[in-house]
Amino acid sequence: MSSSDAGNPAPVVDFDKLVQRLDDAITALDESRSFAKAGKLPRVFDTVRRVLLQPGGCQAIQDRAERLEKAGVFLGTDWAEPSILLPQLTTYSLQSTEADTVIVEAMSELRLLSVALGHYAHDSVSAEQAHHYLTQVLAINLPMLFGEGGETEREQGKLAVISRSLVQHVASQIGYEHVIDRLIDEIWRILQQRPIQVNSVRQMITQIALCRSDPGVDLGSAGQGAERLISSLYGPTQACREDPGVAVYEERLSHMDSSALQGEATGFARSMHDTGLVSPYHASFMRFILENQDSLIAESLGLSMTGRDCLLRYRDLVLTLIREGVFPETSQGIYGLALLLERGILYQPPVEPALWRQTALSICPEARHRLELAFGYQPQPKAWLIQGVLNMLGQPLGVGQGNNPTCQAARALSMWAYNDPDYLLQMVTWAARDNEIIMHFEGTPVSSASSRGGVASEVTIDLDPVSLVVVPHLDRIYAEMGRLCIGRDGDPHRWVNPEFHGWSAGRGFRINVDVATGKLDNLEEFLRHFYASYHPDYNGNQPLVHPQPAGVAVTDSAARFIGWHAITILRIARDPEGVMRVYFYNPNNDSGQHWGGDVQVSTARKGERFGEASLPFEQFASRVYIFHFDPLERGEPAEVGAEELARVIDRVHQSWGRDRLPADTFQAEPPVV
Amino acid sequence: MSEQKYDPNKGYVALLGWSLNAIEAADKFDRRYVVVAPDWAEAYCKEHDIPYVPWNFERLNDRSVEIAQTLKEMGVDVAIPLFEETVEWAGAINSVLMDQPKLFGQSMLLRDKALMKRRAQLGGIRVGIFEEAHDRDDVIRFLKRVNQTLLKLDGDPNDPIHLKAFDKAGCLGHRVIRTPDEVDTIPEEEFPVLMESHLDGWEFAVEAWIHNGKVAFLNISEYVTLGYSVFVPATPDLEKYREQITREIEKLIKTFDIEFGFIHPEYFVTSDSTMYFGEVAYRPPGFKVFELLEKSYGFNAYQGMIMCFDPKTTEEEVKAFFPKEVVDAKGYAGCFGVYPRRRVVSKLEMPEETENHPYFESHELTPPLEETVTKRTAFGTHWGLVYFFGDDAYTMRDLLKHQEELDFYV
Repeated sequence: MSSSDAGNPAPVVDFDKLVQRLDDAITALDESRSFAKAGKLPRVFDTVRRVLLQPGGCQAIQDRAERLEKAGVFLGTDWAEPSILLPQLTTYSLQSTEADTVIVEAMSELRLLSVALGHYAHDSVSAEQAHHYLTQVLAINLPMLFGEGGETEREQGKLAVISRSLVQHVASQIGYEHVIDRLIDEIWRILQQRPIQVNSVRQMITQIALCRSDPGVDLGSAGQGAERLISSLYGPTQACREDPGVAVYEERLSHMDSSALQGEATGFARSMHDTGLVSPYHASFMRFILENQDSLIAESLGLSMTGRDCLLRYRDLVLTLIREGVFPETSQGIYGLALLLERGILYQPPVEPALWRQTALSICPEARHRLELAFGYQPQPKAWLIQGVLNMLGQPLGVGQGNNPTCQAARALSMWAYNDPDYLLQMVTWAARDNEIIMHFEGTPVSSASSRGGVASEVTIDLDPVSLVVVPHLDRIYAEMGRLCIGRDGDPHRWVNPEFHGWSAGRGFRINVDVATGKLDNLEEFLRHFYASYHPDYNGNQPLVHPQPAGVAVTDSAARFIGWHAITILRIARDPEGVMRVYFYNPNNDSGQHWGGDVQVSTARKGERFGEASLPFEQFASRVYIFHFDPLERGEPAEVGAEELARVIDRVHQSWGRDRLPADTFQAEPPVV
Repeated sequence: MSEQKYDPNKGYVALLGWSLNAIEAADKFDRRYVVVAPDWAEAYCKEHDIPYVPWNFERLNDRSVEIAQTLKEMGVDVAIPLFEETVEWAGAINSVLMDQPKLFGQSMLLRDKALMKRRAQLGGIRVGIFEEAHDRDDVIRFLKRVNQTLLKLDGDPNDPIHLKAFDKAGCLGHRVIRTPDEVDTIPEEEFPVLMESHLDGWEFAVEAWIHNGKVAFLNISEYVTLGYSVFVPATPDLEKYREQITREIEKLIKTFDIEFGFIHPEYFVTSDSTMYFGEVAYRPPGFKVFELLEKSYGFNAYQGMIMCFDPKTTEEEVKAFFPKEVVDAKGYAGCFGVYPRRRVVSKLEMPEETENHPYFESHELTPPLEETVTKRTAFGTHWGLVYFFGDDAYTMRDLLKHQEELDFYV
C-alpha cells in the first residue's frame, strides 16, 4: 500500500504561494468582526480546498488547524463542538458532492488530528478523545483508505481526491497498523456491553471484511482477530461459511438431514452468544425450522434449562413472535428472544397476554412513518417493533439514547424493561397504536399529545424500534412534568423522577448541589447518607431491591465537568477481587467512559453483567450528585471512616466540584487551589 | 458584535443602504456610525449590536424629511450613499444636516443619466450623442440617424447604439442594439431609456475620493471587457493618460460642484486620445473594485470614503491616509464576472487552468440553482466573481480576457 497522494495533479501550482494565500485568508477571517465573518468564509474554504488538492496539503492544514478554528471556520456549525461529532456521519460529509461539506469535515478531522498528536490543546476535547474519535473515523471510512473508487467517488469528482488523501493522511499519522486492530478491539469492547443498536458495529465489521477480502490490501499481521466478528455476521455455520447468500442457503437447508440441521442450530447459537450479533442466515434458519423442525428452536437459541422450560410452556407465543417478527433484516431480534426466555419474565402473568397483543398490534400512521423512515419498508413496521420489543425485554441494559438529549426517557425504558416488563409493553402499545401516552403527575394527567414540546427539539432516528416510537412521547411528558414544577424550591427531579419512573423510585431525595447558586451543598452529610442508603457495609447488608434513578456529574478524561446525566443504580456488590463496586446502567450508547484521574468506568471483567457499567464505590460516590431513597428506611448517617470520606470529597473537589466550592467549606475540608 | 471604539472629536456618519463590507469597515474605523437600512435588517443588527435606524428607501415623498430629522437629532454629521438608489436620499438628508439645499439638487443630477449628460455638456465636457427614448419608435429613429451621420449606406452593418436605464447602477438594464429587429426585444416597462451612440474606444472607470473640492486619491480601473472584468491599477498604456484624466475629473468636480465624497465616473478614450464622458455615480462602484483596491494598495476604500464625507476630517488626515497612486500598489488585482456559456448546466467546475494559475486568488461562485440558463438580454447579472492578483499588468489583462473563453458551469 502506498501512502502517496495518488491521483493528485502534478504540482504545477506554487505551493508556497498558495499557502501564503491561505494564511492571508485566515488572517482576514480572524480579524473580521463577528457579524461579517460569514462573508470571509468562502475565500478560506476555497483556498483550503486548493491546498488540500496538493501533495502535502493535509499537513499544511493540520499545521494551521488551531488558527483556522480560532479564526472561526466552524462557528455556527456542529463542527464547532467536536465532542458531539459522530464518526458515522463523516462518511456522508466526505462523500458529499458539496465542496464546502467536504472541506469543513476535512478541516475538522485535521484539527482533531492536531489535538490527538498533542500540538493543539483544545478547550473541549482531549487528545485521547480526539485519537479515539479518529480511530473510529478511520474504521468507518476504511474503503477510502484501501478500496477502489466506487460510484460515489466518481460522482464526487476532484473532491474525492481530498477525502481520500485526508483519510490516508490521518491513517499515516495515527498509524495504519493499529487502525484495524484498534477497530477490532473497539468492536469487542462495545459488543461486551451487548447494545441493542448494533448498526454501526455491523457497518464496521462489514468494512473490515471487505478490506480483508481485497487481495490488493496487505494488512500484514493486523486484523487477525476479526475472524469471529466477520463470521458471526456472514458465515457463522458450516453451511454458510463462505457467505453464499440467503437464497442459496435456504436451498441447502431443504436438503439437510436432521443431524446437519442440528449442527447448524448449535453453530448459530454458539456464534450469537459469543458476540451478541445475529447473522441474517440465522433468521432464515429459524423460519425454516419453524415449518419443519421446530424441535430445534431451543437448540438454535442456545437456551439453558430455564429458557427451554419457558419455551415449552409458552411455545405458541414464541412461534408466533418468530413468525411475525424474525426476518433476515430483523435477525437481531433472535438474540433478544433468547435472553427474554432466559429471564423467565414470561412467568409474570401479564407479560404473556401483553406480548400476544404486541403480535397483533395495529400501528398508527405516525409511528409507522418513523419506523419506515429509520428501517425502510421491508419487512413491515410491525416486525421491526416486535424485534425492538424482544431486544428491549431481553437486553434491558442495552438501551441507548442515540444522539439525543433524552437520557431520562432511555433510562425509564430500560428500568421498565428490567423490572416492570408489562408496563413497558403497555407504553409501547399506547405510543404505537394510539400515538398518545398519558402519565399522572401528583394526580394531574399529563398527555404526550398535548405537551408543549420535549427536552429534545427533534428526536433523531438512530434508535432501536421501541425507543424510536416511545421516546418522543416520554420526552414530552418528562418536559411537561418539569414545567409543572416551575416555582418550586429545589431540584425538580425530586418530584419528577418518582412520578415519571414509577412507584419503585424512592420518594426520598438528596442532592449535594445548591440549585440556586450551583455550589456544593452539605457534601459530607450527603455522602454519609449515600453510604447509609446503598453501601452494604453501612446499610445492614441489604442488597438494592429496585433499581434507583440517580444523577451523576459527568466529567471528561481531564476531570472537567461536562454535564449532569441520568443513570440507574442497579446493585452494589464486591467484584471478583473483593472491591465493593456500584453497578449501574448508563443510557449513553457506550458506557465505557473515562471520567478523569483514575475514574475509568469499567464495562467488563469486573463482575459486570451485560450492559452494566461499574465503578468502585468510592469513585462512584465522588460523581453522584442526586440519589433517591425510601424515606421510611432512612437510617442514621453512616459512620464512614474519615479517611475514606476525605478521599471521596477530595475527588469531588478535584473534578466537577472544582468551581463549586461554597465559601464556608474551610471547616470541613480546606479546598485545594 | 460591534466592537467599535470611535473618536468623539471626529464626525458621526450614517451609511445609507445595507453593505456588510461597508459596515465592517466602519466598525473598524474611528468614526461613530449608524446604518440606515430597510427593516429586514433589524434582526441582524440587533443580534450583532450594530447601530441601526430603520428606513425603507422608496421614492422620495413627503415623509422623507423624517429620516433627515431623526439623523439630525441623533447628531449625525453626514449621510453616505452606498447604492445608486440611496444617492438622492443622501443628497436630501445632507441638505438638511448641513443646511445646504444645493446638495439635494446635485444628487438629482447625479441620479438621472440624461440630466447628468446635459449638465456635463454645459460644463464643457465632451459627451457622445445621446437622446431619451419613450418608446420603440424613438429607438429606431435614433439608430437610423446615428448611422446616417456615420455615412453608412443601406446594407452596411450598423454601428450599435447603447440603451441604459436612467437611474440604475452600472450595467443593469444596459442593452446593445444593432438592428431595428432587436428593438422589439425591449420590454415595454423598460422605457423611458437613455440612448447613446457607440464610441469605438477604450472604456475605463475612475474612482475619485474628494475632500474640500480636491482629488485626494484617484484610481483608474481598466475594463478588459465591459461587464466581464476589471483590474486595478490600470496598464501603463492607460495610466499614461493619468494627467489628462485628472484634469477631466477636476472639470467634473467643478461642473457638478462637488465639495466632498466619492465619485465613480466612466469615460471613453478614443484612438485620437479624446476623452468622452460616459456617466458618473456618487457611490461605491460595483464589481468589488473597493476590494480590489484594498488587495492592491492595502487601504480600506470604504474608510477612505467615510473620511472624505466627514466634514470634521482634516487635510492632514486625508494626506496621511491615502497611498501614492500606482507606485504604492503591491500588485495588480482583478476580477472576472462569470456568465454560464452553455444553455444547460448542472454543476460548477472551476477550469483547472484558472485554478492553477499563479495569479488565481479565490472565487465567489456557487453551484447552479437551476439547470437552464436564462438567455442574457442585458448586461450586469453575472453568476459570481473570480479574483486574481499578480505583479504584471499585461499578464493580468490577457488572463482576464482569456477567462471569457472558459466554461465555469458545465
